[in-house]
Amino acid sequence: MPELKHGFKIDTAKCDGRMHCMRACPTHAIRVKNGKARYIPELCIDCGSCLQACPSKAISATTISLAELDRFKFKVAVASPALFTQFGLNDTPAQVGRALLDLGFDAVWEYAVDIELITRAIIDCVRTWPGPFPLISDSCPVVVRLIQVSFPSIVDHIIPIEVPREIAGREVKRKYSQELGLKPEEIAAIYITPCQAKSISILQPAEESKSYLDGAVGISEIYNDILYRLRKETKSLEDNAQEGLMDSGELFHWGNPEGEFPSLAPEHYLPLTGLTDIIKVFNDIERGRLANIEFLECHACLGGCVGGNLTVENLYAARSKELHLKANMPKPSREFEKEVARRYAQGDFSLRGVVKPRSLAKDVVDLRERVMRRKRAEEILRGLPLLNCGLCGAPSCKDHSDDVAQGRAEIGDCVFLSRTRIDELRKVYKKGPAASEG
Amino acid sequence: MSAELLRETFEIQGRNFDKAGEISSEIKVILKDLDIDAACIRRVVIVAFEAEMNVVMYADRGTLTLVLTEEDIRLEVHDEGPGIPDIELAMKEGYSTASDEMREMGFGVGMGLPNIKKNSDDFCLELEVGKGTSVFARIRLNSHA
Repeated sequence: MPELKHGFKIDTAKCDGRMHCMRACPTHAIRVKNGKARYIPELCIDCGSCLQACPSKAISATTISLAELDRFKFKVAVASPALFTQFGLNDTPAQVGRALLDLGFDAVWEYAVDIELITRAIIDCVRTWPGPFPLISDSCPVVVRLIQVSFPSIVDHIIPIEVPREIAGREVKRKYSQELGLKPEEIAAIYITPCQAKSISILQPAEESKSYLDGAVGISEIYNDILYRLRKETKSLEDNAQEGLMDSGELFHWGNPEGEFPSLAPEHYLPLTGLTDIIKVFNDIERGRLANIEFLECHACLGGCVGGNLTVENLYAARSKELHLKANMPKPSREFEKEVARRYAQGDFSLRGVVKPRSLAKDVVDLRERVMRRKRAEEILRGLPLLNCGLCGAPSCKDHSDDVAQGRAEIGDCVFLSRTRIDELRKVYKKGPAASEG
Repeated sequence: MSAELLRETFEIQGRNFDKAGEISSEIKVILKDLDIDAACIRRVVIVAFEAEMNVVMYADRGTLTLVLTEEDIRLEVHDEGPGIPDIELAMKEGYSTASDEMREMGFGVGMGLPNIKKNSDDFCLELEVGKGTSVFARIRLNSHA
């Protein structure tokens, strides 16, 4: 397996080892050793819970900055619909789109077309799918990675359809290379993202193919620049061929789970947000339940993409703005429908690879040894206090016993089993200048 | 028959719908810990869940034993319940003797035993009406169904 890339980095100099991230991580991927957090790459699903939990701001998302885009000849913004929910009630998607052009993008993509295409592809896929049910949406990269790591037995429930942003990237490259005579690699298709997970899905798609997109810029990164332009209205852009479509509201289509795939029949379709609830439901699917539901749309962030960790506005204000936008959304124009029909007839929307479970140990040792390790871990766990205090550097006593059985940690890292451990910790966590040196 | 690598027995409480499904979840965690093939885990978990539900719905108490060998996973479920009056009927998809109350909770759709059979490589049922039921299921580690 190639080395796993992740959507965030821990700045060790800033990390105070306070374990907020370790306790927040849903897949127990973080350990804190010698007062510094580090993660186990195989277990990380890029949900970003750690990023929000860190009190020292030591964890940052690896999105790209606008300056990095200069190497491209033509830059196209593919904006997540969540972007348009971040500003005032009277700021229209068209105005936000113009601000993006003013920021240096050469074009703003009419993403609603791609979303509609994928909605159709999903409906067709659901109709002919032989099972197993329910199919699970692949648009949230965290959900896909959660299945790979924690629910490997349901990987074949992931719908084998590309996500709208990839289809947008593909079309951006095709259209502009044809129109402008540029090579596809000279054109940048940049996703304006509400979370760092999408940027990792561009760097390293779970299905092991290559992304059509060239990177992702976080909404929070350009929020101020856009807001400034919206308020100042410095520049009235010359009439642009794009503007007709942009003003008809077709930049904005969805954002919350109830609306991502609006044409699906509600009685067979279940939207689901927040990792805690998703995990509960996946447990049921693993037992063969919920097979009466055809399609589950899952978003790891509570409230869906408008609640992503690179958004700025609070979830409920963004939701209100979204409802406002939807209420005022005009009917799709004839051009829009023609474009959807044209591309749907021509395009292939199936996923270009297969999502497989992420193997955690199998390659290393045989079954007999794995059973031995498990027995050893159980033995060790019986001697631990089950307080999950975290002082050993693992999020729970169970994790510590597993770590010890696999040779990743010393049993004496538990303060209950070692006299010297607490003194060592005292040295690491002592307040004052000495602490930062160690 | 290859040697047993692991054997664990779980107690199932009859009529306790609150805890129903916990044992199959626990089995899932064990097998995932051992990095057993995902398709195999899926089948084992479905068999374990259905068998567990049968005990919860119809019996006073029971046990579920998980056995792992180099070749297969075996599940043995014993309960102290009424037994099954008509096996042929019980094996039919959609046939159920569940009460309305059970159905309201989403159980008892008559897929229990058929599902167990469908998801195991070997399956056998022993019973004594009035005393109890035993279910044996074997799932091969390398099977792909």
